[in-house]
Amino acid sequence: MVRAAVGLFGGRAYDGVSVDDLVSHLGLHRNSLYKTFGSKRGLYLIALRRHLADDVRPLLDALADAPDAAAVLRLITSADLGLLLLATVDRASADEEVASEVEAALAAVDRAIADALGVPADLAAALTAAALGLLLRGAPDGAATALSRQLIPPT
Amino acid sequence: MALVRIDGDNLVVVNEGLDKLWSFKGSLTIPLANVRGATADPGIAADPKGIRAPGAHVPGLITAGTFHQEGEKVFWNVKNASKAVVVELADEEYARLVLQVDDPRATVALIENALA
Repeated sequence: MVRAAVGLFGGRAYDGVSVDDLVSHLGLHRNSLYKTFGSKRGLYLIALRRHLADDVRPLLDALADAPDAAAVLRLITSADLGLLLLATVDRASADEEVASEVEAALAAVDRAIADALGVPADLAAALTAAALGLLLRGAPDGAATALSRQLIPPT
Repeated sequence: MALVRIDGDNLVVVNEGLDKLWSFKGSLTIPLANVRGATADPGIAADPKGIRAPGAHVPGLITAGTFHQEGEKVFWNVKNASKAVVVELADEEYARLVLQVDDPRATVALIENALA
């Protein structure tokens, strides 16, 4: 049920998801929704945390084994990060709790990259930013390759 | 119409004008500790509301008063469903309040921020 909320909130802006949408997609009564989650925001926060546990956590594990920048870019651009991206642009500015979840998740990605590649934290943050940018643009293959060549010139 | 404000550690709901006659509750004061959240929910008015007692329910015109549904008491004060806000409570006489407010987005933000 929370997974279905992750899908809904990850595919549409927060204000675009009505309680009617949640009731019909989650298969629970409106009263139960309020009783269980307190509010739409309460459900949103639980869905966001589920997304971080189900989708971002495995990405961190995979990044830990990444041998190079190309692998890092490939892993991030192929991950399901819909709700994280939407939360970053749509909700973080309006909701401090969302902002701190998003910030912590992105910092964890930075750390995983820094540890895996043995690069400074700020370079890792730049790689995260570039990868998320590529993901937003539909991950054009050439761009990721060009960037990783630039970072680690072929010997 | 309901006026919603935060007064210290309480949520205060004042039911305005004629609605007061219909819903028999001029104002409600609820400790913020017993408020779980607020949600703009224009769709709720189309749902079954349960059994009314006491209060008034003139379909299409006004839903006001205490409704009993699935063992819960729900307080309604709504004429214009597009401006309905649902306030979920805990350990209170009412399980939730369904209120028509002037600006649902602002009311939801007011309540949610007071809870944070």
